[in-house]
Amino acid sequence: MSTSSNKVQRGKREIWCICLALFLLVPSASRAIPAFARMYQTSCSTCHSDFPKLNDFGKAFKDAGFKFPADDEGMLKIPPTLLGAPAQKEIFPHSIWPGSIPGQPPIGLRMNTFFQKTSGNRGKFDSLTPPGTPAPFIPKTDFSTGLFSIFTAGNFGSDIAFWVDADLNVGGDNTAGGLGDSYLKFVNIGRLGKLPKDALSLRVGRFELDLPFSQARNINISGYDIYDQANIGAVNPLFAQQNVNNQFTMADAMNGIEFSGGHQYGGYHYSIAFVDQNTSGVNQSANVSPFVPSPAGFASDSNFKDIYARVSYRINLERDSTSRNAVQAAGATGPRDHTYINFGSFYFYGRSVQRFSGENLAGTPVVLTAREPFYRAGGDFSFNYRNLNLYGLFMRGHDNDLLPIDSGGGLVPLPIDPAGTVPVAFVHGTPATFTGGFMQADYLVYPWIIAIMRWDAVNSGPDRINGLALTTNSPFALPFRSTRNRITPGIQFLIHANIKASFEYQIRPQQFVTVITNPITGLPIAINPFRTNTAVAALEWVF
Amino acid sequence: MTIKYLLTLLFIITTAATQLCMAGSVKGKVAPGKSVVYLEASGAATPVTGKTAVMDQKGLMFAPHILVVQAGTTVEFLNSDKVQHNVFWPHVSGDKKKTHNMGTWPQGQKKPFKFDDPGVVTLLCNVHPEMSGFIIVSPTPYFAETSADGEYNLADVPDGQYTLTAWHEGKKVQSKKITVSGATTADVTLQ
Repeated sequence: MSTSSNKVQRGKREIWCICLALFLLVPSASRAIPAFARMYQTSCSTCHSDFPKLNDFGKAFKDAGFKFPADDEGMLKIPPTLLGAPAQKEIFPHSIWPGSIPGQPPIGLRMNTFFQKTSGNRGKFDSLTPPGTPAPFIPKTDFSTGLFSIFTAGNFGSDIAFWVDADLNVGGDNTAGGLGDSYLKFVNIGRLGKLPKDALSLRVGRFELDLPFSQARNINISGYDIYDQANIGAVNPLFAQQNVNNQFTMADAMNGIEFSGGHQYGGYHYSIAFVDQNTSGVNQSANVSPFVPSPAGFASDSNFKDIYARVSYRINLERDSTSRNAVQAAGATGPRDHTYINFGSFYFYGRSVQRFSGENLAGTPVVLTAREPFYRAGGDFSFNYRNLNLYGLFMRGHDNDLLPIDSGGGLVPLPIDPAGTVPVAFVHGTPATFTGGFMQADYLVYPWIIAIMRWDAVNSGPDRINGLALTTNSPFALPFRSTRNRITPGIQFLIHANIKASFEYQIRPQQFVTVITNPITGLPIAINPFRTNTAVAALEWVF
Repeated sequence: MTIKYLLTLLFIITTAATQLCMAGSVKGKVAPGKSVVYLEASGAATPVTGKTAVMDQKGLMFAPHILVVQAGTTVEFLNSDKVQHNVFWPHVSGDKKKTHNMGTWPQGQKKPFKFDDPGVVTLLCNVHPEMSGFIIVSPTPYFAETSADGEYNLADVPDGQYTLTAWHEGKKVQSKKITVSGATTADVTLQ
């Protein structure tokens, strides 16, 4: 067997493993806070329409720093423990500014478990394993554990909110999880500069970006494909190659600071965040230096801090002005979410870093660093009318491409072979781009039944080309076309306000395992596309 | 003149004595904990006019949790919270045709509703499902909330045939026929 054939086989095995991983459900880390329910002696549905999705009151509660927007003290059933009498403020700076902690540890726990049925096409991937080699078995039906999380959140007084969540166990028995978000939010610090109320807040720590539609508070069993899209350039030697290896995805938790203001339940809202750059995917714990110690490794792989900005405006469409400007609309049969239309846009800018062993023109070994500016930009909308919420997002990803060249000016084949041609510099290549988004409709049939229809689409030419090469990992399961469409109808039942049964049928993108050479172009093409659809049921409970 | 006064006094004393002989009382015991008892006389209810009571919503709770009124009373629903509330009841003593939704109104304001139909009204708030309250509408003025150990005393009840009804949150309503003749004892066992 030739070297290239071996490479192809290795690539097939790698991709096969990727496919397997993708077939298994990776649940998104959704969050609902029973700790608040305990402290205020109120139901989850005070803040959530279908946990973890926030209703208008929940958005106002979050905006206010995990407090009731008005008369929070009157609502608390468990009074906070004072860390200093309020009168201590009068003798500041000769005392510590008085704060408080929740009267009881505000701890919530979350667990979920899954059942999945996979269509018969799953067996087609068996052909990717070498003859005589047993393929990993994909069961037709499977019960599997999800994640077990602990989270805590609340307010320390002086409008300082906190949040910490950690997955103790993620998909699979005894699999170690990790820290999710952990931050302090200094709410309404604009008051110090006489700015309008809630015009400026500061968040510091680790957090999910202020995405138009949170992946963390996503009610679906599976996450949005566009949020999980990394940008890996085409490295198939039979096509124009790209030296882009950006592991960043919008769903990643970020370390940094964020300035934000406005409200999510009406009017303007903005967020500007400066976060660690880490596009190489290197782990914080693995990113250490023997010369400069750090408490737990370095989270950045570059000196540059990425920038995220979002701005949105929500127009509440209630006729009555009092109702229009209130946290919730005053309906004829009780308060409800507003009828509204919300428009927004977002922009993320960073510099993807790759470092290579190379040499300068004098032939001296040096480290060559490719800093490839990239951006993710998009727009979103959300329309709500009574029990129907229709929302969607479009996003474009763009990574500049710096191709390595040798001392003669020729392109160095990718991936760079350490024993092969040594790069000395970079030249601009074709940027790696992708587009995509999703559209979703949630309809509250009853307060405890939610019908969902969702469409995900991601268009990435490099993904398809890389799939055809079968020598690199493909970000998705061997997409047959550049555009991967996924239709996902679902229905969810709240058994109690804190227990949810969810069902999702994922009509997946077309995939392939067979590649032939186009006799006309001489390029590889995929044939015999098929779908491996999955039906997934989940039980989730928080307490 | 003196005779006239004496005759008048005699008439008053006689009338009062007669009334005293006809008015009894009903004592008894229901289950431990707060319960409500009321008497229903045969025939139509005797609604009261011009009487009001207040049911507040404060701290995400109905206050009082249990309110007993006579049929014909107007209950004013008050929202003392700085969050929006709603009040509705899905039925009156199981009669779903008597469901009513009071909607939403601003903090500090009251919204009245006149309860003409006797029965048990379960109050709910459609945005705070943990909230509940009860209005017990008695067909007669003879009603009482029991003490913590379940004892009650209905005074000044005219002698006659009645239906005694006892209600306790979460238990089945119990009714029994009683005859009031002077001091009467009627215990009710709730299930």
